[in-house]
Amino acid sequence: MQVNVKLFASLREGRFKTEVVDFDSNSRVIDVMNKYELPPEEVAICLVNGRDADNEHVLQNGDTVSLFPPVGGG
Amino acid sequence: MSNVLPPRYQRNYKSISVEDQAKLAKAAIAIVGCGGLGGSMAEEFSRLGVGKLILIDGDHVEESNLNRQLFATEETLGIKKVEAARKRLQAVNSTTELKLIYDWFDENNAANFFEGADLVCDALDSISRRVTLEKACHSLGLPLVYAGIAGWYGMLGVSFPGDFSVSRLFRHGEKGVEKTLGNPAFTPWVLASLSVVEAVKIIVGREASLRNSWLQVDLLDMEFERFELM
Repeated sequence: MQVNVKLFASLREGRFKTEVVDFDSNSRVIDVMNKYELPPEEVAICLVNGRDADNEHVLQNGDTVSLFPPVGGG
Repeated sequence: MSNVLPPRYQRNYKSISVEDQAKLAKAAIAIVGCGGLGGSMAEEFSRLGVGKLILIDGDHVEESNLNRQLFATEETLGIKKVEAARKRLQAVNSTTELKLIYDWFDENNAANFFEGADLVCDALDSISRRVTLEKACHSLGLPLVYAGIAGWYGMLGVSFPGDFSVSRLFRHGEKGVEKTLGNPAFTPWVLASLSVVEAVKIIVGREASLRNSWLQVDLLDMEFERFELM
């Protein structure tokens, strides 16, 4: 199945902004993170099709996964 | 109509009406943190004509603050940040009433610190304290404008009592990427200005644009993208 992966802020560095990627069916959000060597602690927000999702969320063909790092400074 | 305004506020008109200017004059805004975000916010609120500012910070000005913090100058090195704020803000607008608190915010002192405030602005540099701040604001019935910065990046939004937007957005991890990306001057100034815009809208009774949503700011790619909190 195909998943549209969108990365934001520092997660883009050395990676990409957006990419359509093939994943096995029943892949989860954590599988996307693992593929791009994104440790879960470096991902603060995860949206699937614009909705808040946890790392175990099972993806469907055509889903868009958006990942954001924690931005804490002031 | 603008001629009823003091000259110092005439250039606010008519983006800010005479009635709105009066609302700002009656408003009290608390800013938690007087660093990069907080310093620029305080300056803008003072120039806009906000009547009272409550500034909270338990830190002193250090040399490493000079790259970005408005109250940090070679002259203020070593003094309390809230004292540096007083010097600057009195020079900018002596009519702004200041309540300066040389201390760190926590859930136990929130009610005391925020007494009389109409709105709170988050300018903290800690994710966990930002979450605590939201809970405190909500328990006191106060709206919160929150923002975080790191390197070229930032995010901000508005949380009204019961929204718990910060808790939802910042629930993973304490260690923000600013620890490795640093904070160059431009990012806090941009995010501070955007925060001030939202705060002013709330004070004058306009609808805040970033309630139940957040603005993701990427200055490296010059992208500003809004996401809904669903």
